[in-house]
Amino acid sequence: MKSGSNLERVILSGNPAVTAELGPPMSAAPDEIVHKAHILKGFCDAANITDCQTAVVRISSIAAAFIAQREGLEPVMQMTCRDRNRIAMQADLLGAAALGLKNCLCIAGDHQKFGAAGKLKGHPGAKNVYDVDTTQLVGILKKMRDESLQEGGDKIEVPPKFFIGATWTPMGDPMDFRPYNLKKKVDAGAEFIQTQGIYDMELFKSQCEKARNLGVLENTALLAGIIVPKSAMMLKYMDANVSGVTVPKPLIDRMAKAKEAAGDDKKKAKQLQEEEGIKITVELIHQALEIPGVKGVHIQAIDWEPAIEIIVKAAGLYPRPNIPAE
Amino acid sequence: MIVGQQKPIEELWGMLKDFKKIMVFGCNTCVAVCHAGGAKEAEITASLLRIRAAEEGVEMNIEHGACERQCEPEFFMPSIEKFKAQDVILSTACGVGVNLMSSQIGDMPVYPGLNTSFYGAVPQAGVFTEVCGGCGNCVLHLTGGICPIVRCSKSLLNGPCGGTNNGKCEISSEVDCAWYLIVERMKKLGTLEKLFEIQPPKNWGTATAGGPRKIVIEHIAELEEKEENKATVEVKK
Amino acid sequence: MATVAEAPGKEAASMPVSTPISTIEKPNEVPTNWQPNIIAFACHYCAFAAADLAGVMRLTYPTGIKVIRMPCTGKLDHIYVLRAFEKGVDGVFVAG
Repeated sequence: MKSGSNLERVILSGNPAVTAELGPPMSAAPDEIVHKAHILKGFCDAANITDCQTAVVRISSIAAAFIAQREGLEPVMQMTCRDRNRIAMQADLLGAAALGLKNCLCIAGDHQKFGAAGKLKGHPGAKNVYDVDTTQLVGILKKMRDESLQEGGDKIEVPPKFFIGATWTPMGDPMDFRPYNLKKKVDAGAEFIQTQGIYDMELFKSQCEKARNLGVLENTALLAGIIVPKSAMMLKYMDANVSGVTVPKPLIDRMAKAKEAAGDDKKKAKQLQEEEGIKITVELIHQALEIPGVKGVHIQAIDWEPAIEIIVKAAGLYPRPNIPAE
Repeated sequence: MIVGQQKPIEELWGMLKDFKKIMVFGCNTCVAVCHAGGAKEAEITASLLRIRAAEEGVEMNIEHGACERQCEPEFFMPSIEKFKAQDVILSTACGVGVNLMSSQIGDMPVYPGLNTSFYGAVPQAGVFTEVCGGCGNCVLHLTGGICPIVRCSKSLLNGPCGGTNNGKCEISSEVDCAWYLIVERMKKLGTLEKLFEIQPPKNWGTATAGGPRKIVIEHIAELEEKEENKATVEVKK
Repeated sequence: MATVAEAPGKEAASMPVSTPISTIEKPNEVPTNWQPNIIAFACHYCAFAAADLAGVMRLTYPTGIKVIRMPCTGKLDHIYVLRAFEKGVDGVFVAG
């Protein structure tokens, strides 16, 4: 046991782990975090608290994670390499540990030019940092925790005990390098991995197979990312625009059929598509958990947190295991 | 080479409108190659400013000139008397030229005529691409001759991020993903396994993060100092 | 091939038809009987030869047009055009 986090305990117990996502608001009010935390609580082992996702300013991951933790939802704080240099990162990691946070996901972060995919103004003129990359950040966390040393070599009296995570885009270009990319992150110290949203399970399976052959999956807990589809339009958009996401045509067709079944009734079309989306999600979860080496799922219900309860229950993953701390 | 772009004439006019005697001074090396600040462009800029002054009904004396390299004093110092007769120099060299001229020609203001952009290549006439970050600690032997410091939008050193889409970067479908190029190149070279090694956090102290950089080749620098001393001794005699 | 560049501040006759002139700038009042000063850069091998032929045919053109023979319009430089405007021409005609 490295961190004693609930997520780590569930993974070590051999139960399939479930993580969800909580996006902090663009506001100084904590209410939304509190509200979402109560919706997710009990239906996942931990929830990622995004760190200025799509390069849009929101309540910081650490502060939001602390609020969620106070409400009884275990957070996975995220840390992007975009906004901090190694000094700020380590300072924040010490601070987060002092606040009692136990999980940290290391990510490169969306480029500031990305600005909410053009939906918001964002800060395209900002200067990014990228002092270190994800693999290096994972290494820094591990060195702090296991060797009680800062990156620069100075001693840490009380090291931060984090369960260290990283992300993986198994189907991103260049695809044949992706398993090695994963290996580097795991070799650097990533103990859990959350993937980009998967719809093409066959392709994912073959990428996992390659990673397994490199001996990677024995040393980390791979959580397959599932983005809950809301509509045929969303699936088409993701297929065309989101990096590393391909959606097989039959899935798009299923959603399109659900929409057509409602005729001109827009409200019904929304409802039917959401129902179909939940069905698809549950199927994907079952398929993912059957892949050797996959230890859980990371379910993202974007702006649709109440779906998590329905999905987790329908997938037979409820109640979540209660593994007491040692 | 150093690639620059002319500042808009409107911006230049804003800088210069209160001066009476102006010299637009070009540099015939890098910025001439990128059609931004050589002798020809300095002359064009001077002409455009004269037209602007005439339109505004302002009396101004605007000359132009150029030297081979504004990054070395010996090339522009022969024109020192001409500079002294001005109120301001508009240098169309890169920022290096503006800095050096400023420090060498007395109390004369030297203003920039260009936006100095990047270290670039000229893959075809009229196209200039940023390919080197000048980080002071080259890793190109590890990355198939493709610079991850500037060609990757996130300066990643251990492989691509999740933003690659059809070989393009998440910031724009016009920008190649450097890591896609690196992986493809290393496969062709048969050296892909070099990428499997974890690159530790980079020492950015050799780049701009470490403060202004300076390189001294002592035996050459000493030589010039000796020559100067000799000259002083001879004058004294 | 013929290109017309306009003097700054004068009528923008060469603006694309689709762009209303009013959105760019207000045209100056043109006095009656005003004759523009035009400088023509003509290629020795075609446009200039054509001008010669026109002369032989006794065709006339306004006196405000001055023709400069060039070995080729490829010899035309940005600065020739700019200098012409600085010296006060109203329009530049390049023919080759």
